[in-house]
Amino acid sequence: MTTEILVDARWLDPPEPMERVLDAIGRRAPGQRVRLLLHREPMPLYGMLRQMGLAHRTRPFDDGCYEILIDDAPDEVP
Amino acid sequence: MSQAGLAFEQAPPLGAPLRLFLIAPWFLVIAALAAIPSAGDWTAGRWTPAALGLTHLLTLGFLDTVMAGALLQMLPVLIGSPLPQVRPVAWLAYGGLGLGSPLLAAGLALGRPPLLDAGLLALAVAWLPFLVAGAVSLARAPAVAAATRAGMRHAWLGLALTVGLGLYLGGGLAGLWPLASPVEFTRLHAAWGLLGWLLMLVVGVAYQVVPMLQLTPPYPAPMTRWLASLLLALLAAYSAQTFLIEHATADLAGWLGFGAAIAWFAFATLRLQNRRRRRLPDTTLDFWRLAMACLWLAVLFAPLALFAPEPWRDPSQVVLGLVFIVGFAVSVVAGMLYKIVPFLAWFHLQAQTGARAGTIPNMKEMIPDAAARRHLMLHLAALLLVLPAPFLPAWLSAPGLLLLAASGYVLWRNLDQARRLFLQYGGRLD
Repeated sequence: MTTEILVDARWLDPPEPMERVLDAIGRRAPGQRVRLLLHREPMPLYGMLRQMGLAHRTRPFDDGCYEILIDDAPDEVP
Repeated sequence: MSQAGLAFEQAPPLGAPLRLFLIAPWFLVIAALAAIPSAGDWTAGRWTPAALGLTHLLTLGFLDTVMAGALLQMLPVLIGSPLPQVRPVAWLAYGGLGLGSPLLAAGLALGRPPLLDAGLLALAVAWLPFLVAGAVSLARAPAVAAATRAGMRHAWLGLALTVGLGLYLGGGLAGLWPLASPVEFTRLHAAWGLLGWLLMLVVGVAYQVVPMLQLTPPYPAPMTRWLASLLLALLAAYSAQTFLIEHATADLAGWLGFGAAIAWFAFATLRLQNRRRRRLPDTTLDFWRLAMACLWLAVLFAPLALFAPEPWRDPSQVVLGLVFIVGFAVSVVAGMLYKIVPFLAWFHLQAQTGARAGTIPNMKEMIPDAAARRHLMLHLAALLLVLPAPFLPAWLSAPGLLLLAASGYVLWRNLDQARRLFLQYGGRLD
């Protein structure tokens, strides 16, 4: 089993990126993280991740795209 | 905890914006139908009671109702800062705009002070809480999407001034207080409403939604950095000039300044759209292109409306209003609705049901592109027939106006289809 599921959703029509990343979150194994590549920052996704108890880290790239790493929130995070 | 992380929990329920979106098309229908018997009046000039009434049915009833609904969602989604007390604010906007727009329009068209009073009261109930909540949201907004946040802040100022001037002018017309400089304040009300609020919001929102929804490269940095501030500075200068120098000179300076800014924005948008990543047919894109073409047309046509000899000037000003309001604003708003409503219906359904991909209708199924395209065709045909109306015998405007009314009905039916699918798959509106 790989440690992460890559979802390259750059330049897909909305809401396909969100459909794909939610699908990946749904089928990931315990401990596995999801790496989402997207052409913009997915504001609506963040609230959904929080609701699902997942943590995320976002990193912008020079070309205007973003990498969002999604995994289980550490217990101490409120 | 980031502000952006709050976005989903504090986003309003789908019913809040959707109710506003679903009443708006009816004001387009009513405006188009009311314009048929009054065509002899409104085609004669923008100061006629019929033209004033119809303008407010289109701007308040259709455009502002949609824009208010869209902002309820866009503030959390685009700039990560929800409106406080969004449910009561949305209900007041719904009731206030739904009642106030037709009452004010009827009061202006018929010259009846009691209708004006009631309309102004309802509109104050709609806008004042909206402005206060909007100010809180914009003040709290984090620095992400700074260009859009700046555009929205400027648009807030434009809305506040438009509402303030509108209440002052309307109250004066209703006999509540004496009006000083009514012509000057009416010019400012129109300029801030159409350019400071409507165009400014479209510019600010375009920076985000054109690249996001049409998969284009981002807007050029000089534009996102300067255009909204340039528009604001131009409006401030135009406002001062209106009181200080002859109106014709202020109009010439205004045309040069606003014309250059508007042409720049429309050119940049069309150029980006030509460089989009996916080259599939897209009705939203075509609505936007029509809107941008109408911005260019407005800039090119404005000299005739501003400086033509007397018998040409009045009908030309009506044509200019039609190009800007029906050609630009109604088109861009319709194009946005065909993305916003399917997205929200899908997004809320997904969030509420936690459905796996493929088990609920996707965006393209919520409102099929073919249905939106029927609206585009009706809208385009209506526009082409209505634009020359001020220069033709009044009865010749009827076919175009009937098509415009039909386009409003088709828009409502398309939006309502998304609502019905949402409910059918177990979505909750509130």
